[in-house]
Amino acid sequence: MSFYFAIIGTRDNPLYTYEFGTSKSGGDGVARFREDQRSMNQFILHSSLDMVEEVQWTNRDLYLKTVDRFNNLMVSGFVTGGNIKFLLLHDQKAEDPIRQFFTEVHEAYVKTLMNPFYEVDMRIVSVVFDQRVRAAARKYL
Amino acid sequence: MSTTKHARIGEEVWKSRVDKVNAELVTLTYGSIVQQLCKDLEGDYTEVNKQLDKMGYNIGLRLIEDFLAKTNMGRCNGFRDTAESIAKIGFKIFLNITPTVTNWSADNKSFSLVFEENPLADFVELPDDGRAQNELWYSNILCGVLRGALEMVQMQVEAHFASDVLRGNDSTEMRVELIRIIDDELPPGDE
Amino acid sequence: MPIYSFYIFDRHCECIYTKQWHEAERYQSAAAATARRASITSAPDGVSLPQAPGRLSVQDDAKLIFGVVFSLRNMVRKLSGPDDSFISFRTNGYKLHYYETPTNLRFVMLTDTKMSNLRAALHQIYVNLYVEFVVKNPLSPVEHPGGVGVGVEMFEYGLERFIKSIEAE
Repeated sequence: MSFYFAIIGTRDNPLYTYEFGTSKSGGDGVARFREDQRSMNQFILHSSLDMVEEVQWTNRDLYLKTVDRFNNLMVSGFVTGGNIKFLLLHDQKAEDPIRQFFTEVHEAYVKTLMNPFYEVDMRIVSVVFDQRVRAAARKYL
Repeated sequence: MSTTKHARIGEEVWKSRVDKVNAELVTLTYGSIVQQLCKDLEGDYTEVNKQLDKMGYNIGLRLIEDFLAKTNMGRCNGFRDTAESIAKIGFKIFLNITPTVTNWSADNKSFSLVFEENPLADFVELPDDGRAQNELWYSNILCGVLRGALEMVQMQVEAHFASDVLRGNDSTEMRVELIRIIDDELPPGDE
Repeated sequence: MPIYSFYIFDRHCECIYTKQWHEAERYQSAAAATARRASITSAPDGVSLPQAPGRLSVQDDAKLIFGVVFSLRNMVRKLSGPDDSFISFRTNGYKLHYYETPTNLRFVMLTDTKMSNLRAALHQIYVNLYVEFVVKNPLSPVEHPGGVGVGVEMFEYGLERFIKSIEAE
């Protein structure tokens, strides 16, 4: 399984992206998208933003589950209270692990937001945040 | 007074006589002050340090009265006693932390406070502009607080940070040095 | 038991608060008879009361009292070490109670001669009134030249109630 994760700001601007592979059942954590596929990932993810905006008002939870599909790929979404979107592109269904992953990233995101020098919609360059996301990815996906 | 007695007083006052406030509120309030200073002073971190110290000084002038009122303490018995009181009672009742007193100079006039934790700096990562890491002392307000508070009890001190984990150092250490004991002021001569 | 007057001196030896009670009872003279009972003055206004003959103004009183407690305190320290301090002294006419904080704030109270020791009460005034309503008032200045910021409403009110409770004991 391969994943492409992105955080999108309130003005649909990307704040953070991370491409990774599964660490479950002997996976080495490296993404194995096809080369021609890789360049499309970002595009697919961003095109699902419309779907997210539709679903987010009909769903009470922050976790929106799978919001969009493209060929064999799926996009799962999560919206924070401050309208920051977490999007994850994946090629197999895994509802619960993704929920746990999002929850953990959400926690890390809130901590980042608590840093007085970080402002909403700023690109996230914090090493600590990056490490937390990687840890969460290894743990759940 | 013995070290354990300080710790006991600190613990007791903290438990029974201190109004508690949400830690994130303090962290965020202090954070936005520092951040706003950095913005207003256009990244002149030396000046930010100075302003934080000044603010701390003004807090210290008042805080000492609250400290004395809460702890009902008398005068300290020497500078070592003062250091222990600051670490085990002062920091305990106002921030619920107990920095370690260490690195005494041979003449007993300066010491270090080493902070294992620092509630002011939770969540903080210094701006990545290549200068903040070398110039900004994020928690510099604490130096001012000590300076102001000790001045009110007739001790002129100089306090500065020597290292900070926010800068990537291994520990957060504040150096405090006694400059002189301030003499009691005399009443002005009768006209 | 009556309390006659109360003074606070700051670390610059300046009188930053005074208050008098029972002026009339204390000086039962012809002039005092016309003075209002339980009259109130505070230093910043500089309002002086109708004085008994030979009496000093409130400000001069404060200066004298400071001179006395300051000298007495220094003398006590010279005699028995820097940690000692005097607690009260008594004359035929009044008893003076003294309390000093490590920040060199001095609280002085003049009462009836039979009053028991009020050091604890002065400490209470410091802790519950001065620190609470003067020091912790962010709009009040740190130093109080001429008494600025000390005679605030909450402080006055608290002091008045506290004094009444002591007198009633």
